[in-house]
Amino acid sequence: MSARILVVDDDLALAEMIGIVLRSEGFEPFFCGDGGQAIAEFRSVRPDLVLLDLMLPGMDGVEVCARLREETGTPIIMLTAKSDTVDVVGGLEAGADDYIVKPFNPKELVARIRTRLRPSQPAAGDLVRIGDLVLDVAGHEVRRGEERIALTPLEFELLLALALKPEQVFTREMLLEQVWGYQYKADTRLVNVHVQRLRAKIEEDPDNPRLVTTVRGIGYRAGG
Amino acid sequence: MRAWLSPRAWGRRIARLWRSSLQLRTIVMTVGLAAVAALSIGSAIAVSVSGSLFDARRDQVLTFSTNATVAAQRVFDSTPGEDAEIDSILNEVIRTIQTAVATPEGTAYAIQLAPGEPPSGFSANANSPGLDLDAVVSPELRQSLVDEAEDRVNWQSIGLRRADGGVSPGIVTASPLAIHGARYALYLIYDIRDAQETLGVVQLALSVGGLALVVLIGAITWVVVRLVIGPVHRAAVTSQRLAAGELDVRLPVHGDDVLATLARSFNGMAASLRGQIKELAELSTVQQRFVSDVSHELRTPLTTIRLAGDLLYDRRESFDAETGRTVELLHTQVQRFEGLLADLLEMSRFDAGAAEMELEPVNAVRLAEQVMGAMASLAAEKGSELVLIAPGGFAEAELDPRRIRRILTNLLGNAIDHGEGRRIEVWVDSDADAVALAVRDYGIGIAAEQLDRVFDRFWRADPSRQRTTGGSGLGLAISLEDAALHGGWLEAWSAPGEGSCFRLTLPRRQGETLSASPLSLPPVAEVEPEYVHSTETAPAKEPA
Repeated sequence: MSARILVVDDDLALAEMIGIVLRSEGFEPFFCGDGGQAIAEFRSVRPDLVLLDLMLPGMDGVEVCARLREETGTPIIMLTAKSDTVDVVGGLEAGADDYIVKPFNPKELVARIRTRLRPSQPAAGDLVRIGDLVLDVAGHEVRRGEERIALTPLEFELLLALALKPEQVFTREMLLEQVWGYQYKADTRLVNVHVQRLRAKIEEDPDNPRLVTTVRGIGYRAGG
Repeated sequence: MRAWLSPRAWGRRIARLWRSSLQLRTIVMTVGLAAVAALSIGSAIAVSVSGSLFDARRDQVLTFSTNATVAAQRVFDSTPGEDAEIDSILNEVIRTIQTAVATPEGTAYAIQLAPGEPPSGFSANANSPGLDLDAVVSPELRQSLVDEAEDRVNWQSIGLRRADGGVSPGIVTASPLAIHGARYALYLIYDIRDAQETLGVVQLALSVGGLALVVLIGAITWVVVRLVIGPVHRAAVTSQRLAAGELDVRLPVHGDDVLATLARSFNGMAASLRGQIKELAELSTVQQRFVSDVSHELRTPLTTIRLAGDLLYDRRESFDAETGRTVELLHTQVQRFEGLLADLLEMSRFDAGAAEMELEPVNAVRLAEQVMGAMASLAAEKGSELVLIAPGGFAEAELDPRRIRRILTNLLGNAIDHGEGRRIEVWVDSDADAVALAVRDYGIGIAAEQLDRVFDRFWRADPSRQRTTGGSGLGLAISLEDAALHGGWLEAWSAPGEGSCFRLTLPRRQGETLSASPLSLPPVAEVEPEYVHSTETAPAKEPA
């Protein structure tokens, strides 16, 4: 079954062109041109991934992103014309998994989408422990005791990558390659923002993290 | 001795203060002149008062002496000339004299045989106890009694030695007495210390008054000078702040005098200046925003074109030759357009001052190798050999590698474009403070009058020349901005027919100022370079 992708963009020509590219790659695109209707459209379409333009009529893309994150962990990739503005960080903080800067080419777009849609790598064991958390790799679930913690697929992969090699310190570049699929140096803000979001969900005290710790000047690792 | 304590340093300091402070000059000069005036007037008054005081005392003393002489003479005259009784007569005379000449400080007396008079049968000599007559009565005074026959009183100013060792001013009078036929002299010695003391009080009052006057004049001058110079000084300080960019500073306007006019004109000038600068700044901001907005607005349709173009480009094999070529052209030109747009946006970032550096320790030689590797195929197409000559530059420098890579890519692209297929050298060297990268080609070169313009935006050396790297015309302008952002230099050298050289010099630590470049322009090998490789003998690796 082909993956369903919701394209939220008010530029009809670009949306249609993205649709053509997606269809040619075997995806099934759906369209929404208004930020205000994006949530309703999402609920009716139930897509596997959302492509979200940041500049939208009706409701701001960052706002849409935050609303979507409240009810779903579905991957969200932002489309933006400005890579150096607060919008990008705002979108990432609102929960977007990744972003693509316009103009992009078809290969880039498809590569980003495939990375976010790919099934998680089968891990060594089905259950991975990190601190007092248990990661159920097959079920894509994280539990602390009986309590289930809701993570987005991206956050789960980020945590899993760290938890599988607790002895290793991951640089931001390594995480960008392993979790986001970037082969060359990309925006390290992606890692920083998502580590913050992950900590907010799994740490007892996010300001004093114990599960995902910062290694000054290098990157992150699992545990202390 | 510390420098600031030496007299010469103090002299210099005072001289500087003197030159720089109008207040100081005005006050010092006014006080000086006032002091001279007060001193002259005070001295004149003191002299005049002391003269009057002395004259008054002298007249009084002379009256006393005259009275005493008359009284004494009367006593002598009324007594019989019995020599035996002379002592008791003398006693009475002395009492009479003392009554006549009573002064606060006491008066000494002496009665002596006049000089040159033959001794008589009796001696009427007498004097106050402890009086050393020779010390106080000068021979001239004694002689005066002989020279002048009349019964007048002669006098002389003397200094009286006091018991405590001091000297008091005094007057000694001499008057003739006829005692039973013999000529005697009556000397009366007056101590006029009280007059001296009165004079002292007057002098003290004059000095204190004069000093107070000078101080008062100084204070008044200071106030007046402040009233006049204060606003001028404020105006000077305010214009300095205005010049430093504080466009909102204004001078307070009081009243309607010349200073108020100055303040008003100054404020008018400042307001007009601020208005114009604000207008320019707004214009500049609007223009930058416009460029930025246009660049961004263009991106959405460009994305659509790019997606469409790439889709067609991927299927170009299925088109006929002409359509296929069209699709190829579309593809490359869209890429070129994209590059132009990116450059334009980068330029607007520089113009808006929004460019930020991401510093890392960078090995300049490795970076040069990476860029050369990426450009090698392009160079090979044009037949140019890329040669790296690196006498130094292996130590890490604090740079933004993305920007330096961009500069080097751009310089190499230009060198390949204009290198006429001849060899292109990339030089890297460093010293303790700086690292330098130079790109040298042996192509057609640039004419001197054009060399000044190579860093101008959208400027092309030869508009008709074919370009392979698809530059935007902003490349060198952006490179120059990138270099400036590092606090570095980007300089060009060229000789027509001999080629060109662009040298980039960067400080090894950010925030430091460059003084010299490790490479000459164009670089010359002083000795056989140790580290040389070319793309032919040792193909550079692809960047990691």
